[in-house]
Amino acid sequence: MLYVSIIDMSNSKPQNPAQSDKGERLAGTLDLLVLKTLHTMGPLHGYAIARRLEQMAAGQMRLSQGTIYPALIRLEQQGWIRTSWDVSETNRRVKLYALTRAGSRQLQAEVRRWQLASALVARVLGAKA
Amino acid sequence: MTPRRLFHRVLALVRRDRLERELQGEIAAHLEMAERDAVARGLSPAEARLEARRQFGGVDQVQELHRDARSVRWLDHAARDARHAVTTLGRDRGFAALAIGVLALGIGATTAMFSLVDGVLFKPLPFPSPERIVRVWETPTTTTSNSTTTRTFIELVRQTRVFEALSAESQSSATVDAHGVPVRLTGRYVSADHFTVFGVQPALGRAFHQDEDQPGHDRVLILSHAAWRTHFGADPGIIGRDLRLDNVPYRVIGVLPPGVFDRQRARPLEEPASFWRLNGFTEQELSMGAHWLNPVGRLKPGVTLAEADADVKAVRARIADLMPPWKQQWSIAVEPFDRLLIGDRLRQAIYVALGAVVLVLLIACANVTNLLLTRSAARQKELAVRAALGAGRARIAAQLLVESLVLGLAGGVAGVGVAAVLMRVAIPLLPAMPFTADVVLDLRVLAFATAIAVGAAVLVGMLPAIRSSRGAAAEALNAASRGSSGAHDATRRTIVAVEVAVSVVLLCGASLLFQSLARLRQVDVGARLDGVVTMSVDLPRDRYPSGNALAAFYPVLAERVQAVPGVLSASIAGDVPLEGTGGENLLLPGREERVLVRFKRADHAYFATLGVPVTNGRGFTAADRIGAPYVVVINEALASRLRERFGMQDPIGQLVDLPALGFGPDRRASMTVVGVVGNERVRSDLRAPAEEVAYVPMAQAPRMQVKLAVRTRGDAAAAVPAIREAVRDADPGLALADIRTMDEIWRGSLSGLTEPAWLVSAFAVVSAVLAAIGVYGVLAHAVAQRRREIGIRMALGARRDDVVRLVMRGTLATVAIGLAAGVAGAAALSRLMQSLLFEVSALEPMAFVVGAAAMVLIAAAAAFVPARRAAGVDPSSALRSEG
Repeated sequence: MLYVSIIDMSNSKPQNPAQSDKGERLAGTLDLLVLKTLHTMGPLHGYAIARRLEQMAAGQMRLSQGTIYPALIRLEQQGWIRTSWDVSETNRRVKLYALTRAGSRQLQAEVRRWQLASALVARVLGAKA
Repeated sequence: MTPRRLFHRVLALVRRDRLERELQGEIAAHLEMAERDAVARGLSPAEARLEARRQFGGVDQVQELHRDARSVRWLDHAARDARHAVTTLGRDRGFAALAIGVLALGIGATTAMFSLVDGVLFKPLPFPSPERIVRVWETPTTTTSNSTTTRTFIELVRQTRVFEALSAESQSSATVDAHGVPVRLTGRYVSADHFTVFGVQPALGRAFHQDEDQPGHDRVLILSHAAWRTHFGADPGIIGRDLRLDNVPYRVIGVLPPGVFDRQRARPLEEPASFWRLNGFTEQELSMGAHWLNPVGRLKPGVTLAEADADVKAVRARIADLMPPWKQQWSIAVEPFDRLLIGDRLRQAIYVALGAVVLVLLIACANVTNLLLTRSAARQKELAVRAALGAGRARIAAQLLVESLVLGLAGGVAGVGVAAVLMRVAIPLLPAMPFTADVVLDLRVLAFATAIAVGAAVLVGMLPAIRSSRGAAAEALNAASRGSSGAHDATRRTIVAVEVAVSVVLLCGASLLFQSLARLRQVDVGARLDGVVTMSVDLPRDRYPSGNALAAFYPVLAERVQAVPGVLSASIAGDVPLEGTGGENLLLPGREERVLVRFKRADHAYFATLGVPVTNGRGFTAADRIGAPYVVVINEALASRLRERFGMQDPIGQLVDLPALGFGPDRRASMTVVGVVGNERVRSDLRAPAEEVAYVPMAQAPRMQVKLAVRTRGDAAAAVPAIREAVRDADPGLALADIRTMDEIWRGSLSGLTEPAWLVSAFAVVSAVLAAIGVYGVLAHAVAQRRREIGIRMALGARRDDVVRLVMRGTLATVAIGLAAGVAGAAALSRLMQSLLFEVSALEPMAFVVGAAAMVLIAAAAAFVPARRAAGVDPSSALRSEG
């Protein structure tokens, strides 16, 4: 249930300003998941991203789907994703989000960081046990 | 935040509507798809709708989060508030115009004054390393300064170690042929290093060479940019050409760049310097004891003023033996060049004016604050509604502050316009600006204007913002339309009292300055100045090579001018009243003691033309010429000095020893005192007591630069063309210059007090009017608020003057408090302008009475209208209406 708490955090409050000031770092776990999703699936629109995230979490995470939109604009402003226009299955103009080259670099860096961090946490918890 | 992200977030402010639309579209599409999927899972359409919404979360919250993420929230709000403010102000045009106008006045005046202060006092002199430029003065006593002699200057050049360059400057003038018309130009004699001292390179041609200031090589000339444009058609081909100065050819080697030197004058009213030529000292000048050179130097890098001063003093001590005994104790001093340019009195005048204008700005702000308070009282309901709808206290305060910021910036923009006009109109009226003063509306001034506009906006908006945001919403909503609370009124009364106090300070200051000016105008100049016009004429050496030739020409010239219709009398003299004249030592035969006197050449018509009364003996006659016995006329101040010092009861017939100036080596002669005249003021400083003056006949001390003083019937200036014609008849090669009436010269000598007096009074009037608007506002408000009460009182039998008294009482108390505070403030502050005052104490009671009385009158006038409105309240209508 680790994910839940982290994602609920980014859901409840826009973002911690101190965190956003760290420059190239991702604003939250949600951002990382969105990047990863686009990396795996290729260009998607907002609803599809939200659905995919829910599938991946397989019921372990309660996501308000709407919260991905603030994350998407944030990522777009950073230049990590770009948008193009597409038509949805319901025949509506929707934005299609795709990973940029800067975005995949960022994703790699963040994944590495995440792995280091979780390995560290795992080691510490393991040592205690 | 990365710069990229920041850029996008700021950009989002502008693209707000589009981004908002796109988000709506995305959300709608999202919900549709979610609904479709839910239906596919087997839910009913209504259930699907709910399910989609549930999964999505709150649409409003998402939108808010999106806005937070994409944009800079407070800026977004500010932009919205600004738009809102512009719309609101647009709806209330009268208020907006008044507030912006008042702010523009305050900001404009302050900005114009700042440009002056900046140009004169703050900006460094417009030369490279200006702190190294110094002036060297001889100091006969610790408080006087004097020009130096050729001998001393040469020893300074030879022996001092502290200067990178040293130049001796002295006045020069010459008649130059400009396209067939003789023009008399003023210029300077300087040393070859002169422009090295200032670090200025000619824009055309070259500077002087090191060896050019030797006799025989010194016939070269550098022109000012202005003179080159005005008189020589900006012709670049002038370099290398010969220009005849008083018929002597000078090779033009350079033209200076445009700028400061185009404004260089020796005296406020003088023409700016047009040319610079070299001082190749002649044998005669080398031996002369005359103090005629003003050294200006550039210190070597790293040399301090104190070191330079010590070095120069050491040189002076070493050469003391070369000086006549009575000069051996004199000293010499080094002074920064800028202190010479900006005298203490000018500095003080500027600070006083700046202080006055800052007070005006404060009053303007107070006034706008009052306007805003009145307005926010009227808007209490609007704000309460906003608060009830969830706007936080900070948001409401921010909104009000943004409104005043909009006002402030609008006032600032208009204020810069006001400043531009003021600088255009008022600055040329200030003659005593140093030539280096660059008074322009530049970026520095604009930055200043922006800063004070924002400062004023914050100052003005702070109080209403705090008050309004604090007002409880429920209370305001519940209150009937009875207007503002009592606390509001107290604030406004306090503000008005402050306005009155500050205005009284200014009015008292203006009153003090004007009383001083009146005293200064009453100073007896010892001459009749009306109807006299004066001008300079140079008689060139080639046409008038000897003293005899000069002396023979003076009567010819005077007679021609005398013959001009409308001319009552014409006189030739070395100097005219109030314009200064040299100093010399007077000795009694056989006595060592010296009396320093002002020395003046005058012809036989001088005393009559200028109305200087001959009180004893005689004036000069045509018989006092070369070859005749030397005679001298002294003024009463000198006569009484001789009586006190030497017990000389009747000076007539006594012998005194003075330099026999003229053509020839420096020598002294005994002269017979033939007359005593009234105390003519020979120098412009009217604050100093009358000086001792000795007059010698023009013909016995001839010189080439002379002044023509002409008394005319009627308008003196109107006679100038005919006088010019007559001078040309006498000698077609002569040119007139420095044409000024004695009245102009006299007004010039009041300068330094006139300008501050008028400036401070203008500011005082503006502030008093602003304070009056404040008084009016408070009183009008009180009347409007108490209409019902007044109506009831009148219905119960109150008379009109009871009503007037009732409304006036509070206001009068406010004004009285302001008056008391103002008088106290004026008493504390007037000392700061002590040095500008003349024969008036800084605590002169009369000035304070006048200042306070003026304020009372203005306040009473302002109170009149609302008071009459109160008296005119119709009880029945007042009682019927609710407000």
